[in-house]
Parts: sequence; structure tokens; C-alpha cells
Amino acid sequence: MDTLLATLVSGLVLGSLYALMASGLSLVWTTLGVFNFAHGALMMVGAFIAWTVSEAVGAGPVAGVVAGTLGAGLIGIVIERLVIRPFYASRNMLLVTAMTTLAVTIILERGAQMIWGPRLKQLPPLVDGEIRLFGNAISAHEALLLVAAPVILIALWRFTVSSKIGRSLRAVGQNQDSAALIGVDVPKAFALAFAISAALAGLTGALLGSIRFITPAMGSEPLTKAMIVVIFGGLGSLGSTAGAAYLIGFIEAFLVLWVGLYWTPFALFLLMILVLLLRPNGIFGKR
Amino acid sequence: MMTRNNLLLLALFVVLAFVPQVFTDGYVRHLFIIAFIYAIIASNWNLSLGHCGIFNFGHMTFFGIGVYTAAILTKTTGVNPWLAIPACAITAAISAVIMAAPVARLKGIYVVLVTFAVNQLVMQLVLSQADLTGGAKGLVRLPFLTIGDYSFIRDYKLGYYYLALILLGLSTAFLILVAGSPFGKSLKAVRDAEDYATARGISVARTRISVLVLSAIFTGIAGGFYTVYLRVASPEVFGFSTMSLVLSMVLIGGINSVLGPVIAALALTFASEAMAGIGGFEDARYIVIAVAMILVLRLAPGGLIQILERLMPTGRKPATPTRSPA
Repeated sequence: MDTLLATLVSGLVLGSLYALMASGLSLVWTTLGVFNFAHGALMMVGAFIAWTVSEAVGAGPVAGVVAGTLGAGLIGIVIERLVIRPFYASRNMLLVTAMTTLAVTIILERGAQMIWGPRLKQLPPLVDGEIRLFGNAISAHEALLLVAAPVILIALWRFTVSSKIGRSLRAVGQNQDSAALIGVDVPKAFALAFAISAALAGLTGALLGSIRFITPAMGSEPLTKAMIVVIFGGLGSLGSTAGAAYLIGFIEAFLVLWVGLYWTPFALFLLMILVLLLRPNGIFGKR
Repeated sequence: MMTRNNLLLLALFVVLAFVPQVFTDGYVRHLFIIAFIYAIIASNWNLSLGHCGIFNFGHMTFFGIGVYTAAILTKTTGVNPWLAIPACAITAAISAVIMAAPVARLKGIYVVLVTFAVNQLVMQLVLSQADLTGGAKGLVRLPFLTIGDYSFIRDYKLGYYYLALILLGLSTAFLILVAGSPFGKSLKAVRDAEDYATARGISVARTRISVLVLSAIFTGIAGGFYTVYLRVASPEVFGFSTMSLVLSMVLIGGINSVLGPVIAALALTFASEAMAGIGGFEDARYIVIAVAMILVLRLAPGGLIQILERLMPTGRKPATPTRSPA
């Protein structure tokens, strides 16, 4: 029973992390029709900025998290302007932007290596101490992640459903021309969607920076997991993406328990191929 | 156009055959050998990406499978490298079938996601099975390639140079044959008019599986040769950097052509190595190549080969309109 509960908690932590990552990917996809390969790298940059502000400057972890979030958001706007916007009219925008954002990943990762060097870095936790959850002690920082993820997801969902700006993002995602006709500034909506997504990545990185080590390549593993989430859940809606994120988190935690850490990637991989063979548009995807 | 490009290719190979006479030191030859290997990967990648329009982001998986097949066979089971290198074609082709199974039915972004995820997951598998693959450290000190008593490392890598050149020649001939065959035409049909191709009796799924397997064969062999030549297998071959370097060769060289990626592989290998010689540029060179890749996509989507063709007018218009990469 104890192992089961511990596994559940660990799955919940992983699920929260994947949900934060994948929701940003989903937002950009539904608005722009672009898959942002640089999402993992943006997460990494957010963590490094948070480390610089919190540790190197000494402004404290809260300021670090804020700076990491805003910094990644700003870089997101720049990315959208330089490597996404020029290709809107391209016939193969999907493939071309996949390649340009991949190139951006290289630029950010190598750039981070040059700026921050190869030494491992870590952020102090936002909140100290431990919390007991179902009889399992987890760090208060991880508990914060557990709470923050659903709050952020619900806020994001309310934003896209209720607010005028959020609704304009969805309008642009559904039909650019009609959206432009009813007075939505399409380029501004694209930039905004990209900025929000990048800021989410930066926030995730800043929060993850006190659980894992901050390295230039730290974004690639969460990005891969977010891609698996997206494959399982489809990219279409925030709800299915978030649902799939928690599902994958739990599956991964249970796989670690059953087949061990070594075989988990392989088992996850097999599962992904099986799902795709049976449901090419994801478990929650529509035909 | 096709024949003129083939003549250019032939001329290129004749020149390359005489390179060792001019450059007698091992270092320059080493760069050529690496460039030939990249040229094989890039031009074969182009078969699925350019000719068939499959958004394949997992091509480096085939190379990595080749690398680890040869490394494990020669190091752990003691198989002769001459047998291990061809065996890589088989394992790479099998991995292509596994990757193709889901890809055959998917569309658009899901192809990108699945192929990319397969690549990442194979890397995680290699990292986690440290007993077999050496994990993050990789496998080192593989046996030398020899014929009788003659080791290929002697005479400043002369043997390796010509073996790499022969492999590139075989791979290029294979690609030209495939592209020119009826199957090659069905690839373009699947890419440009999927519904029409289906209506004319071409199975899209079967074409996609076949093209992925065909593109894996020489890529796997190149991986086997690469690891036997360097005597090292490391999980870096699955990483972002190697992948984007080869992808930039495909894009800068020109998608849809056989010649372009070969030339771009030669040019970029030397450019990258020259930049590595500049102090503090070890990381920056990857940034330079990534920026070049974005600029090519932005300014010359047809790549170098298109620029080359514009510079050499044929007196008639190209049969096909210029395309952005697909």
C-alpha cells in the first residue's frame, strides 16, 4: 500500500511537470499551427535566468522565478518574430517552422553553454521543509509544483475561454481570415500566444531548477515527454493535453515500479507505438 | 537536368579519388572521411524527407543503430568488422520498419513527433542499457579494420579514405537508381498528390514504409563504418547537435537533389572544423550553422543546388517549378 501511494505521488509530480510543458506546446499549436521544438530550450533558459537572478545577483528565489518566467516570455516573442513570422505564407510552414525552431534549440543550448558554462547549477527551493501527502514525505517545493500546475492550467483555460484576448487567440486558431475580418490583430495574437507559451516554459524550468540540475540540455528530456503526452492526447485542446499529461505521469511512475528505471523509456515507447497503431490521432483525439 | 547533375557528380567523384595524392596528411583525409559519412547520411535522409515528403525527424536513429550494431558486434561478440558493417544495414532496416509502422498512417505534425520521439527514446534506451552499450560513456577501443596484416590506419588513413569514398559512391548510385525508377516517381506522387496517387493504385502506406527502409540501408552502413573508423560509439550520435548538423546539410545542399547534400556535407564539415580551430568557437560553430540553416530556409529554400542551377542556365526552363522544401 505504501509503495502504491508513493508511486501515485511520484506520478502526480511527473504529471504536473508534463502538463505545464505540454500545455504551452498545445497553446502554440492551436493558435499558430506551429510545433515549437525550442520549447524545451526555453524551459532551460528560464531556469538559467532564474539561477542568475536568484543566485548570481542574489535577489532570492522568488525574484528568480519571476525573472525566469518573464525572460523566457521575452525570448519567445523574439523567436516568433524572427523564425516563425517570416514563414506564415510558406506552403510548408509546419515543416519549415519545425526546422527553424530546432535550429533555435541549438542556438539556445550552445549559447547557454557559452554563457553559463558546463558546471552544474541548482536553485534553492521556493519553500523549505517537507509535506506529508498520503503518508509520503515530499519536499514542500514539489508540493508547490503539484498545486501550481492545476492552478496555472485552470487559469490558462479560463483565459482562453472567458477573456476577450483569450477568445481572440482561439478565433485566430480556428480561422485567421475571419478573425482578421472581425478586427482581431492576427500577428499580435500570434506573438501573444508564443509569449505566454514561452513564459510557461520558463516558469516550468525555474520551478524544476531546484528539483533537478540546471544544464544546457535539461530541456530535451521534458520536451520528449511532452511530445509523448501530445501524441497520446492530441494537440487539439488544452483539456485533453492536460489529461494526457497526468496519465503519462502516472503510467511512467508505475512503469518505474514494475519494470524498473532502465526499461521504462522502452516500455513507454512501445506503448506509444501501440496507441498510434490503434488510434492515430491520440487517445482523446478526434478523427 | 538530371543527366547534367549526374555528370557533375561523376566529375566530383573523379576529383575526390585524386584527393589523397594531393593531401597526404592524415588530418585532411580524416576530414574528408567524416564528410563522406555525413554526405551518405544527408543524401539518404533526403530520400524520405525530400523525395517522398515524409516529415522524418528520426533519420539519425538509423545511423545510431548502425553505430551501436557495429560497436556491440565487434567489441562484445568479436565479430569481424568486415561482417559487422554490412550487418548494420540489416539492423537499421529493421529499425526503419518499426518506425515506419506508426508513421505509415499518420499525417503532418504527428509524423514529426513520432519520428523525433523514436530517436529520443532509442537514445534513452542506449543510455539505460549500460551493460550492453556502455551507457553515457559509450564503447571505446573497438578493433581496427584490417585486411590480412594490413591495418587501414596505416599510410595516413589511405584505406579508410577510399573505403569511405566507395561507400559514398555506392550510396549515391543507389539513390540515383531509386529516384529514377518507377518507385522513385511514385514517391513524388505520394508527396505532391497523395489522393491522386492513391486513386492510381499507389499504396501510400507501403510507399512510406519502403522509402524509410531504403533510406536506412546506407545510413546504417555509414554508422557501422563511422564507429569502426573512429573505434568509438557514443550516444551523442542521437543528440540534437549531430541531428541539426546533418539536417542543415540536407537543407543547405538543397532538398530534392542527390548532389546538393553531398556538396553541402563536404563544405559544412570543413567549415565546422575550421571554426573549431578558432579559440572559444567550439560551441559557437554550431550556432553559426544553425543561423545558416534559418537563413537558407528564409532566403533560398531550394538550397545551394538551386542557386547553382540558376547560375548555369540550360537554355530551357526547368521542367518543374521551384519548390519550397517538402
